[in-house]
Amino acid sequence: MIYALYVIVSVICIYTARHYWFTLNRLFGFQRHPYIDIDTADWPPVTVLVAAHNEEKVVANILSALMTVKYPENKMLVIPVNDRSTDRTREIIDEFVERFPGRIQPFHRKDGKGGKAAALKDAMELVETEVILIFDADYIPGAGLVKQLTAPFFDPEVGGVMGRVVPMNCGTNLLTRLLDLERSGGYQVDQQARMNLRLVPQHGGTVAGVRLSALREIGGWNDTSLTEDTDLTYRLLLNGWKTVYQNRSECYEEVPETWPVRIKQIKRWAKGHNQAMVTYGLHLLLGKHRASLRERIDGTLLLGVYVMAPFTLVGWALALGVFYRGVAPLHGIVAILSVTAYAAIGNLAAFFEIAAAVRLDGSRKRICLVPFLILGFAVSIFAVSWAAVSQVKDALTGAEFHWDKTERFRKAAS
Amino acid sequence: MNPFVSVVGLILLTVALMVLPLVPAFTELHGKSDALPLSVIQQHTGEIRFFADGFRSYIKGLEPVLGECVRSGGHTTGTMPDGSEYLVLGRGEEALLLPFRERNEFRPVMIASGSDLLLPPETSFSKDIYSAGSVMGGTNNHYRAILAEKDIRLGSESSVMRWVHAVGEFSADAGCRLYGRVSSDAGIRLSRECSFLRLNAPFIAMGEEADPALTSLPIPADTTTHQRLFHEGDFEIPAGEVFRGNLVVRGRLRIGAGARVCGSVKAGKALVLEPGASIEGSLISASIMQIGSGCRIRGPVIAERMVLIRKGTHCGTVGNPTTVSAPDIQVEQGVVVFGTLWARDHGQAVASL
Repeated sequence: MIYALYVIVSVICIYTARHYWFTLNRLFGFQRHPYIDIDTADWPPVTVLVAAHNEEKVVANILSALMTVKYPENKMLVIPVNDRSTDRTREIIDEFVERFPGRIQPFHRKDGKGGKAAALKDAMELVETEVILIFDADYIPGAGLVKQLTAPFFDPEVGGVMGRVVPMNCGTNLLTRLLDLERSGGYQVDQQARMNLRLVPQHGGTVAGVRLSALREIGGWNDTSLTEDTDLTYRLLLNGWKTVYQNRSECYEEVPETWPVRIKQIKRWAKGHNQAMVTYGLHLLLGKHRASLRERIDGTLLLGVYVMAPFTLVGWALALGVFYRGVAPLHGIVAILSVTAYAAIGNLAAFFEIAAAVRLDGSRKRICLVPFLILGFAVSIFAVSWAAVSQVKDALTGAEFHWDKTERFRKAAS
Repeated sequence: MNPFVSVVGLILLTVALMVLPLVPAFTELHGKSDALPLSVIQQHTGEIRFFADGFRSYIKGLEPVLGECVRSGGHTTGTMPDGSEYLVLGRGEEALLLPFRERNEFRPVMIASGSDLLLPPETSFSKDIYSAGSVMGGTNNHYRAILAEKDIRLGSESSVMRWVHAVGEFSADAGCRLYGRVSSDAGIRLSRECSFLRLNAPFIAMGEEADPALTSLPIPADTTTHQRLFHEGDFEIPAGEVFRGNLVVRGRLRIGAGARVCGSVKAGKALVLEPGASIEGSLISASIMQIGSGCRIRGPVIAERMVLIRKGTHCGTVGNPTTVSAPDIQVEQGVVVFGTLWARDHGQAVASL
């Protein structure tokens, strides 16, 4: 029991050190934004895929926004991927097709396998351009975003691009405010630090881009994956393609406003991530491929983030067991110092990261909400652990994964 | 002390200590003083002419006064609706004789001229300048911002703190320091030892010898398939060779004299382009890039640390403008960039590298 606890604490310490490394790099290190200054170029033709499954509340907003972006009109084609919608999504898309002839080519999918990856895979038959950008229907791209996300593809090593996601409904309630803080930490610090340190920025599957030739080389979209973005990140990495993160390519999104929706969302992310871990983890760390040593280590740690939740729960149980069985983990002053140091610094690493991110964002008062993150943390740790347990159960019973769409809260555009 | 009171007191104190850090959190949650979404730039696109366009809209309010001064040939002063003082000149050469120039400095007034503006030397202009004609600046001047409907020429050793936009050609004599954005709808010409950050124009020429007309020879577009050669370690394309496809090298890359790459190139370390090489796509280095004389590059040129460009090299073409960007850029006289030249930290036009 005691040795199992040692292992768990050691792994937690590695993640703690990683949080501090990223945060300090973001605060004091050199910031890499190599492609953000490309403002004049012979811009390549681009296809923008908009994934839409029952998106009548939001799809008009994104199509309107895309019709006003600053990109040569004759070089940009928008393909709304209407995935088996049963609401007014199709009708709204067709109205836009009429209003903007030649600029929008709808892909109405009536049947087939469920899930975003499956829908994108089918839509690829319409894609002819080397650069593909992907947005979920609840995002609202700004005027310069298409150019910003396209610019990194001038680098022939870049296979994928990821922009920054910013919640637009953050003021709704406690949950949205906590998610706003989490997004800040995840993008402003985590993703940018990975970019700075030439590690593995993660493709998020929205506000993102992918190179067609890279996608073909790695075998296209994986429709068996619950998180096609994580899957894409690792397949690109293993084949020598870089995914780059553009912190200044920001886009508004809508975050869940109710806890059940949030729990469902994070459970899907956890399952998809764990799925990628099982598929690629060992090969990434030890296999023969084009990732560098630092990418192998960071990529493996990134794959393990959702396993840390059940790992931590087991650690807590073991710590209690060790305590009640009277087994001293260490002796005397060393034990006191270790426990005190970990309690004072280790547990706070993720919160420190988020606080630093909020500071970098220049927010004034929202940093006061950081103590409430313990609530979001508690919900996530149990939801993610539950997802891991059910995933193991599904694997044993042979049950299939199914893809749950995240519910929207915006009022439909008139 | 009563043990009961002690226990209750201890419990209350503990609860208070636990709740205390949450007071600001509850206050913010309830008060929502910082609950708006983070500001994301939705409308403008980092357009270099953003400030110049804003200033042009702002100055529109002065058009009647400007017209009156041009007709009368005199000058007048006044105050804008936001309280800024202005000086409107009917004849631009009047600026040389202005009566209220004190100790080599103008009072902080905005200057608007209805015709070609001649500015005296050794003077600081701490407010924006507008000219309906051209602007000819004296030596060793300091400007905040200039907008001219025709050409702008800055005298040697002058500096600009924020931005300049010329509808005609912009030129800067030796030793000028251009700290902000400089744009022109016609072209930019910098003399030796000028420093810069962000430049944009149909052509940006270094020195009098740089001839944008030389690139009437178009660089072919990257018409290759998207095949990619990936190479760990260092790599060299021999002189005179033709390489077809995109090339990614994790180490150093040397492209020999006169070699041609029909595609884009990326080097993980230093990238050296020897004289006369041509690249039909983009040229990217995660480190330092040295571009020899007489090279031709069609696509963006990006280096994460430094770019050195020798004389006679042309980046982009008139029909296909491009971007050259790095934290540190040094450019020899005789280089022409069509489009954008953007040095994040420091850019320098030098006589010789």
